[in-house]
Amino acid sequence: MRRPPQTLTFLVLAGALFALAACAQLKALPNLPASHPEELATGPVSCSECHEDGQKGTMKPFAAFNHSRAFIANHRFYATADDVLCASCHKVSFCADCHTNQTEIKPSVKNGNRPDRAMPHRGDFLTLHKIEGKLDPASCYRCHGRANNERCVACHR
Amino acid sequence: MKKVLTLWLATITLLALPAAALADASLDSTTLLRFSQDARSDLGTRTYVPLTEFLGFDADKLGDGKLSAHLYGWGRLDLAERYLTPGQAESSMDGRLTYGYLQYRFNAANAQARAGRFFVHEGIVNEQVDGASARTDLPYGLGLSAFGGATVHTSFIPGQRSDGKGDGIAGGRFNYRYGGLLELGLSGVFESKAPALNDPTLAGRFGGHRLIGADLWLSPHRMVQITGRTSYNTETEGVAEQSYRLQLKPLRDLTLSGEYNAYHDRDMFYSSALFATLLNGNNLNQQSRSLGGSAGYQLNEKLETSADYKHYSRDLGKADRYGAELRYNLPDGALRAGLGYHYLRSSPEFAIIPSDSASGSFHELRCFAMRDTKSYVASLDLIDYLFRRAVEGKRSALELSGSLGYHLTPSLAFSGDLSYGSNPQYSDEVKGLLRLTYTTKIAGKGDTK
Repeated sequence: MRRPPQTLTFLVLAGALFALAACAQLKALPNLPASHPEELATGPVSCSECHEDGQKGTMKPFAAFNHSRAFIANHRFYATADDVLCASCHKVSFCADCHTNQTEIKPSVKNGNRPDRAMPHRGDFLTLHKIEGKLDPASCYRCHGRANNERCVACHR
Repeated sequence: MKKVLTLWLATITLLALPAAALADASLDSTTLLRFSQDARSDLGTRTYVPLTEFLGFDADKLGDGKLSAHLYGWGRLDLAERYLTPGQAESSMDGRLTYGYLQYRFNAANAQARAGRFFVHEGIVNEQVDGASARTDLPYGLGLSAFGGATVHTSFIPGQRSDGKGDGIAGGRFNYRYGGLLELGLSGVFESKAPALNDPTLAGRFGGHRLIGADLWLSPHRMVQITGRTSYNTETEGVAEQSYRLQLKPLRDLTLSGEYNAYHDRDMFYSSALFATLLNGNNLNQQSRSLGGSAGYQLNEKLETSADYKHYSRDLGKADRYGAELRYNLPDGALRAGLGYHYLRSSPEFAIIPSDSASGSFHELRCFAMRDTKSYVASLDLIDYLFRRAVEGKRSALELSGSLGYHLTPSLAFSGDLSYGSNPQYSDEVKGLLRLTYTTKIAGKGDTK
């Protein structure tokens, strides 16, 4: 059996030492709160109304997470990097209002009493999707490419 | 299987109730009763009365206080004719577990571990997994997350005995943060070999789900934010997606943004059996690009306005969408209203049935108002699509919805929705729905909605 080269052995040992040193420092790193310490007002919030400094856990300014219309429309960029922060204020079921699987009810029907919330496919989307699907199929793919497509396959055979 | 799953969901919830009494727990339930009748000359009259239950349960501070349980799913019972679900056995019941997992939060470094069924949103990765995951912050601004397990299978593709997914999946994200200035993430997902599909036309169009990519958050100045991501399909050896966004905040109440998105069909849709089938016969080498911008301004505490523009460019054709919105919100949320207009100007290739005389252009009008008090909630919502050229003989697709509800207790509400529509699908479409919701908050948790 061939012996591993010395460089590789050195790199593995250095990596293990670095990992051990890093683990020893983990206890000093702060945790985000599991829940927001105070009850928040109804509707979209502006973190910077109360917080002026940077958010320690995400190492980003609080203002970056103000729930403006632009933030809501592009929340995927934040949720895929800072979902631990999202969980401080939102239950996971809040996301599941739209991001669910294999239900035939549109989010806008399930939450028909909340016209103020941003919900996909309002109105006669059955007609509209024949245009929107050709215009921007990637926007369909994000939710229906590999899941939530039982209504799609009913016609697209 | 569905019956078992539905019963299992109900049983797990019931079994969890005693534990919930000891823990910091909350229950979210939405029960919907819908009634619809579909009358067509060629299919006869069909009546649907589905009863659907969405149930969510969270129990925090279990065990040593760091363990929590989270469960969410839905079940449906068809009280009249059953909904047809392609690829599924005949049954008047259906149901799914959306997520159900145990989570352990460690004392420091935002470290946590999960086991069960859960969603993964990490960088370019968006998956639903039956398995385990772990994440932690590391010293020097570094962070690491990893997951692995079985894929959650969904509906079979017609004509196939598969949904096109492999059986195993693993992935993760490594990130670096420099306080207030930069976050850079590298992520990837590796799914086991995709099943062979019984369709020779899919050769070279469909295969494994294996992506790597990078994501970025950059704020060189407090007024400037750049976010974005790029993903690379290692199976097709091509860049699948690029999506970047610049946000400027020159004034406290003014937000300006610009975005650029680019996709390549084959690299993007390669692991989707549906899209590979859907685009069968079309050119999968299409490039899609969109470039847009928006401006939002908070006029005062109650009024917010925004305007947006987006240009779409595909090999197929070009299109532009622009419009504006005005929103009114009382600070306590008791009154919320909105007004919006958008126009999509598109080349004839985007029409539903393309021809020289066809058009895929349409106007979109929307207005809504909602009153939410301690005793009742009422809303009206109007949305109308006005087609530049008639679709199936109709020049518009209109939907008017009204909802009226009563808060029986702060947690329990009963409401009913009624909507009327007239569109290219139906000359008249009347829909009704009854809704019973029960929502509790986790003690110390912020807003749930």
